[in-house]
Amino acid sequence: MLVKDIMTRHPIMAASDTPVTEVQSIMSQNGIRHLPVVGDGKRLQGLITRQRLALKADELGSLNVWEITRHISQLRAGQIMLKRAQVITVTPNRTVERAAALLTDYKISGLPVVEEEIVVGIITETDLLRAFQIMLGLPMSGVRVTVRMPNRKGEFNKLSSVIAQNGWGVTGMGSFPTPRNPGKYDLVLKIPDVSVDEVQEALSSIPDQTIVDIRAAV
Amino acid sequence: MASEITYGHTGPVLKLEDVAIAYKVRGGEIEAVQNVSFEINRGESHGIVGESGCGKSTVAWAIVNFLGANGYVKRGSVKFLGQELVGKRGEDLRRLRGDQIAMVYQDPMQALNPSMRLGDQLKEVLTVHRGLSNAEAEKRAIEMLERVYMPDAANVMKRFPHQISGGQQQRVVIAMALLNNPALLIMDEPTTALDVTVEAAVLDLIAELRREFDTAIMYITHNLGVVARVCTKVGVMYAGEMVERGTVEQIFKHPQHPYTQGLMRCVPKLGADKASSMLYPIRGRVPPPNSRPIGCIFGPRCDYARERCRLERPQPRIMSNGVEVRCHFAEEIDPAQWQPHEDIELPTVHEVAPGEPLLKIEHLKKYYEVSGTTLKDLLGLTPKRYVKAVEDATFTVRQGRTLGVVGESGCGKSTLIKTIIGLENSTDGKAEFMGFDITGDISSRDLAVIKELQMVFQNPDSTMNPSYTVGQQIARPMLRFKTVPKKQVRQEVIKLLQAMRLGENYMDRLPRQLSGGEKQRVGIARALASHPNLVLCDEPVSALDVSVQAAILNLLLDLQSKLGTTMVFIAHDLSVVRFFSDDVAVMYLGQIMEIGPADAIYAPPYHPYTEALLSAVPIPDPTAEQKHIRLEGSVPSALDPPSGCRFHTRCPRRHLAPEEGAVCATQIPPWQEIGNGHKIFCHIPQEILRTFEPVISIKEKDESHVS
Amino acid sequence: MTVAQPVLAASRPPSRLRKLWNSISIVFQSRIGTAGLVVVAFWVIIAFVSLFWTPYPPNSSLFVQNLPHNSTNWLGTDHLGRDELSRLMQGTQVILLKTRLPGENRIAIPGGVAIWGVLGSLLLGSVLGLNAGYRGGWWDQVIMQVLDALIAFPVIVLYLVIIAALGQGDLVVIFAITITGAPGVARLVRGLTLDIKTRDYIRAAETRGESKAFIMYREILPNARGPLLVDAMLRVGYAIFAIGTLGFLGLGLPPPDPDWGNMVNEARRNIFINQWAVIFPSLAIASLVIGLNLFADGLREEITRYQK
Ligand SMILES: Nc1ncnc2c1ncn2[C@@H]1O[C@H](COP(=O)(O)OP(=O)(O)OP(=O)(O)O)[C@@H](O)[C@H]1O
Ligand code: SF4
Ligand code: SF4
Ligand SMILES: [Mg+2]
Repeated sequence: MLVKDIMTRHPIMAASDTPVTEVQSIMSQNGIRHLPVVGDGKRLQGLITRQRLALKADELGSLNVWEITRHISQLRAGQIMLKRAQVITVTPNRTVERAAALLTDYKISGLPVVEEEIVVGIITETDLLRAFQIMLGLPMSGVRVTVRMPNRKGEFNKLSSVIAQNGWGVTGMGSFPTPRNPGKYDLVLKIPDVSVDEVQEALSSIPDQTIVDIRAAV
Repeated sequence: MASEITYGHTGPVLKLEDVAIAYKVRGGEIEAVQNVSFEINRGESHGIVGESGCGKSTVAWAIVNFLGANGYVKRGSVKFLGQELVGKRGEDLRRLRGDQIAMVYQDPMQALNPSMRLGDQLKEVLTVHRGLSNAEAEKRAIEMLERVYMPDAANVMKRFPHQISGGQQQRVVIAMALLNNPALLIMDEPTTALDVTVEAAVLDLIAELRREFDTAIMYITHNLGVVARVCTKVGVMYAGEMVERGTVEQIFKHPQHPYTQGLMRCVPKLGADKASSMLYPIRGRVPPPNSRPIGCIFGPRCDYARERCRLERPQPRIMSNGVEVRCHFAEEIDPAQWQPHEDIELPTVHEVAPGEPLLKIEHLKKYYEVSGTTLKDLLGLTPKRYVKAVEDATFTVRQGRTLGVVGESGCGKSTLIKTIIGLENSTDGKAEFMGFDITGDISSRDLAVIKELQMVFQNPDSTMNPSYTVGQQIARPMLRFKTVPKKQVRQEVIKLLQAMRLGENYMDRLPRQLSGGEKQRVGIARALASHPNLVLCDEPVSALDVSVQAAILNLLLDLQSKLGTTMVFIAHDLSVVRFFSDDVAVMYLGQIMEIGPADAIYAPPYHPYTEALLSAVPIPDPTAEQKHIRLEGSVPSALDPPSGCRFHTRCPRRHLAPEEGAVCATQIPPWQEIGNGHKIFCHIPQEILRTFEPVISIKEKDESHVS
Repeated sequence: MTVAQPVLAASRPPSRLRKLWNSISIVFQSRIGTAGLVVVAFWVIIAFVSLFWTPYPPNSSLFVQNLPHNSTNWLGTDHLGRDELSRLMQGTQVILLKTRLPGENRIAIPGGVAIWGVLGSLLLGSVLGLNAGYRGGWWDQVIMQVLDALIAFPVIVLYLVIIAALGQGDLVVIFAITITGAPGVARLVRGLTLDIKTRDYIRAAETRGESKAFIMYREILPNARGPLLVDAMLRVGYAIFAIGTLGFLGLGLPPPDPDWGNMVNEARRNIFINQWAVIFPSLAIASLVIGLNLFADGLREEITRYQK
């Protein structure tokens, strides 16, 4: 899974001379939190986030009400945006986990996706969370089972051969080091078209592995 | 089926709400489009279908602000990527749309500069808008051309637009549109001018690009088959309103608006014939924008109309299957119970036993001499060169039967007809009509022969002389051939007009006061005025809307069964030919490839070319499974056609012929008799040809999805 | 593809006059065209009035010479003491209303020199253009070569050659206008023919085995009517101009009847004494020519719009 697979293509964008009032309405009407500012054939110039729209008290301190209104109405996207040099971006061929790492490292919530400075998409927390859901098979119904296994070679093979023997399919899968239990891994599987009991029976026979959670889920 | 998984943001790229578009004209305004709403998401292709003049293009032009000086969006909102377009002007609009909307028209030359190399035009998009270096732009342009399957892309870059075929031009235009990676691609009949085989390739391309680039596509067409092939959703427009909108599967399986149902009854299914099926034209015609009814806009033509329909304009309602329908009674209407209204007259078709051979053509050839332009050519020093438009046509048409001729454009269909009727003289071979020799042109023929051979033309707008009234034009053949005494001409004309379902009051109208369908009827009346024995029809319905087309086909069938007229019928629409003809000849590059009874042609054994043609036809049924055979390259030049079998350069089945197909390039294939008059011109042995699967099978989709 | 059109109520077959009026009346849609028509109509009315009434006899010297405009002679008098206004009015006749046949008995036929000349060039030009365009091949080559050669001569030189060869007279001027106008008309008609002959209704006529002449004159020519009408209007303007020029050179229509060009020429000699005698006929020529041009422009604009 790469960024280009889960990003939103053709994002909503603004130009640097778009009035800030309009920027505000675009962002609220479409429910978006990141608005790339482009010019010159979709070349990235900056990024506007919700915080950027907040008025800065020190700039306005000396102005009276009328002047504030005028000041705001004359503001353009280019004046308030985060400039290109400060915008963290990602290229479409990075992996999703790298993109997620960028978000957590910089404590930001979205990344413009650029290819040679041209904006080709945007990827946000929402996209990554949606990918996470899909990865674990959320939209499909089936049996969701968590198997705890030791962290050593051959364990996964045992599990997968049982699944293969039963002729089952897998619609979602994820593996996580078990919290507070070093040396163990929790593997989450979503198996469609079977009953909880069938799964329980088949998987409980695997040596060294335990089912920590099993449920029919949608 | 599981719900489709979508990644990324799903807000619409384009959203129209209650849009009305008006043109200011002298003495007022016409509202060409009223209350149209729809939205298109990323990676979705939304079809807009409807008959001519119902406002499809107007909607597209409104989005790109191309309505001309007199058009404007009167009401409603057009949102592109979440931003309102209506009410913004000039610079603002340009900034909003930026490079994000591209449009592809029916005629690719509208988008190409004839005096500039294709490469330069493609590169310009990148260098001017994006400031790419020339070398970089060149690389990108070539990549994109390869992306749209342009053969020999690097070479094409150096050519001028007129040096590539129409289908290739359209691909270049699409490539150019995609270079900027637009969010919305508007296509207005992009394949209407193309041959079926080329169309099929372009449609494949569009479907693939949509998925890959996540582009939202608005696809305008009047062809239901094309919609079924490329679109995910479709809106049906009628007289400026969108009357039904939903997913392609739902609309084709359960059309709920009476107009949509009517449209579907107008087009012949591929494989249907006149004996077993019927076309039902929609009665009446589209009201002009300024005399639309107050109530339901389709009311005057609707078979279900009631009092409420006359008084109240229906609003779009969402039905249980998610389809939006503009009809008060959509739930109650059951198309299975439908009966044709007594106003539409249906032809009575009875099978005619093949009569005496009327037209006998043997090894007919027609070559056109091409004159070179060099001085040497002018002085006659270079050897003469010929376009071999018809090479060896052999067939017989029997009294009372209809021979359909199909093939791609430029295959010699029209030349064949012109030679038979005498607009051209033939180069070689024999042609006999009612026992008279007709190898020469008209000037060498007897008036008695001329009278028996008449023709119906393609273009309704040029089939009638604008300076004379309908009556004068129909009377002319009667006077010329003296088939009717002078005094009775008027009565005879009226009789003919009535047979065409046009009243006596049409006598004194001028062509510009007639609709396309009416002009075509008059054209038919003129052809029949001398009571000819053989009528040649050159694409008589291809310029008409489907409902008019159905009416004209019915009319021709009816006249034929009443008068016993024999016909030769050219059309590029294979379903129409199948429906209308008793026998069919398939032509490729001047050569008849297969000939026989219609049902035999459309079922295995096929000639490889026929098979390719059939698998390219867009079928108005999204559940139909069709073989995927696409021809490579384009039709070779008729100036020096390939040796051996003319089709060998593109034949997808060639490896099945003896010696792995080596004979195809060297030897002229034999005519293989399949039986019952069915003949195939191919090296592949009959036994192998018989093993080909049928091209089209209609299956219910199976619903498994698990990995 | 075609767009549905309103159903018109049944109508009588339109008469020829009605048709002509229909095609001309669309000019009222255009402001320029209407202005042109008003100017032209003004002169046509003047011409008719002059047949029955002019303020004074136009050819008799009743007044003092070279008067400027005053209350008796509204436009003054010329160098022979003839009334300018009367002469100007009468001057319209030879252009628009009558052609004097040669001979002593002064017979005139209706239709002015300009009108006949233009009709002549239309006739000749149409025949040549139709044959060149429809038959093509050698016909086209030969006809167009000859016409191109004619066009290569400056028009005025052609006039002079013809008049030098045939002498003065109304018929000669008509002939000269015909010859000089025909190549232009032929080109126009040829172009239209080349377009019209590709239409299906011409194919239909051919498949009926109609003669070439029938196809050219009955099937093609009527459809060239619109553009020809426009062209004719322009040509009447040119013809008037040409007549003026010839008159000015003293080669135009023969005396004694007044001719605008001639009037300018004669008054020119006294231009320092009486410039008005030069200005009024010049204005007359200019206004009629411009009127015709505007009219033709309006007509063209509307015809092309109408055809769309
Ligand atoms: N520039 C214009 N001025 C006035 N009326 C116009 C203009 N352009 C289109 N119309 C009218 O608007 C209506 C809709 O036309 P439009 O071209 O959108 O139809 P369409 O559905 O695209 O037809 P087609 O299938 O023939 O392309 C028609 O009645 C047409 O005559
Ligand atoms: S509202 Fe009435 S007239 Fe209109 S489509 Fe429905 S049934 Fe027919
Ligand atoms: S003869 Fe050969 S090339 Fe021609 S159609 Fe048959 S297989 Fe194809
Ligand atoms: Mg259109």
